[in-house]
Amino acid sequence: MENEYRVVYGDSGLYVLDTASWRTFRPVIDETKCVNCGTCLLYCPVCAVKKVDGRIQIDLSYCKGCGICRTECPKQAIMWVKEEE
Amino acid sequence: MNTVDFLNSREDLLSPGISACQGCMAELSLRVILKVLGEKTVLVVPPGCMAGAAVGGWNKSLGTKIPAAMPQLGNSASMLAGIKAAYDLVDPDVHCLAYAGDGGTADIGLQALSAAAERRDNIIYVCNDNEAYMNTGFQKSGTTPHGARTSTTPVGSVGRGKVNFKKDVPMMMAMQNTAYVATLTPAYMNDFVEKVQKAATIKDGLVYLHVLNPCPTGWGTKPENSIAYARAAVQSRYFLLYEYRNYEFTVSAPTKNIREPKDVTEFLQKQKRFAHLDEQDYEEVRRVVNSRWENLKKLAGL
Ligand SMILES: Cc1ncc(C[n+]2csc(CCOP(=O)(O)OP(=O)(O)O)c2C)c(N)n1
Ligand code: SF4
Ligand code: SF4
Ligand SMILES: [Mg+2]
Repeated sequence: MENEYRVVYGDSGLYVLDTASWRTFRPVIDETKCVNCGTCLLYCPVCAVKKVDGRIQIDLSYCKGCGICRTECPKQAIMWVKEEE
Repeated sequence: MNTVDFLNSREDLLSPGISACQGCMAELSLRVILKVLGEKTVLVVPPGCMAGAAVGGWNKSLGTKIPAAMPQLGNSASMLAGIKAAYDLVDPDVHCLAYAGDGGTADIGLQALSAAAERRDNIIYVCNDNEAYMNTGFQKSGTTPHGARTSTTPVGSVGRGKVNFKKDVPMMMAMQNTAYVATLTPAYMNDFVEKVQKAATIKDGLVYLHVLNPCPTGWGTKPENSIAYARAAVQSRYFLLYEYRNYEFTVSAPTKNIREPKDVTEFLQKQKRFAHLDEQDYEEVRRVVNSRWENLKKLAGL
């Protein structure tokens, strides 16, 4: 029987909103400019930026398209690409 | 380990999709605090933007991967003190964390907070200061700064924004000898993470962390500039970074290392809530900012 109220631990009962659908633009890393410093990782409010095997990657699954990563990147390595309808 | 690798290695304990606005610094700060404290944490989050964004739960589901509950707006500290007393019987190492707005802290929750600090309840109380009651439509709070336009301090033929000055809650908490007090803002992430790490080690009383979190929706700023505003707040000395413990004040590196402070207009300009301010108002802000800094220097023996 399903519980009326749950205390979640792990992913069961986790509230998840599709925030990627909010984006009008999406960040795309220009690999020729990125030095993998991770500044974008520090400041992304949704923790969409990960470092995998030393390389910075943006997971767009929940990225809200706020543009902070782009503003803060010291190498201007984040391109701003319009989302299509 | 540097801060980038440290944060990358830690689990994000919030849901990946919560309904905080684009560029919301309250969301970033909460994610980082939970990453540092880790999964042995329980959270209370009173009504406000973060609770509304689902951190406190919606429809029998929760926005956190750890236990979380929503107290009332005014009783976060006392409810958490009770939760802590219960956890102490089971596992005293569980961090009991409150993430409360400035309205819930500086105004309606102040008595409960001050009493918990006096009792030296070992809880971590974070004030998410976005300088107004944002979730209900930008009403003025005790920490709203002088001159700011809010829905209850309008600008028109009579009103010129908030008349009074920002209530200095971290200083109040220090003056009642709270076990550990620190001010933080996410633009200075090394400093931020270090202070939360230190908070986790304090076992002799209440921890009060006061976090300035720019709010693009309430402040009338562009989402992509949230970190830039947090940085400008520190660089103009509008927001002072420091710690207090055992009758000692320590000015934190980002504030201490400022050689040439930026003018306050660096922070105030281009925020819609300050758009009506003129040179005379700026002068007033400079005067307050300067007095606060002179006062902190004396307290810290600089
Ligand atoms: C006693 C009480 N009064 C009023 C409210 C309505 N209310 C819900 S959220 C909120 C705003 C809280 O502001 P703040 O604590 O600054 O958090 P923010 O929304 O800015 O994150 C208010 C006034 C309430 N829930 N309880
Ligand atoms: S646009 Fe905003 S949400 Fe998306 S990756 Fe950059 S900082 Fe994160
Ligand atoms: S109104 Fe401000 S504090 Fe509230 S969710 Fe939006 S940006 Fe965050
Ligand atoms: Mg608020």
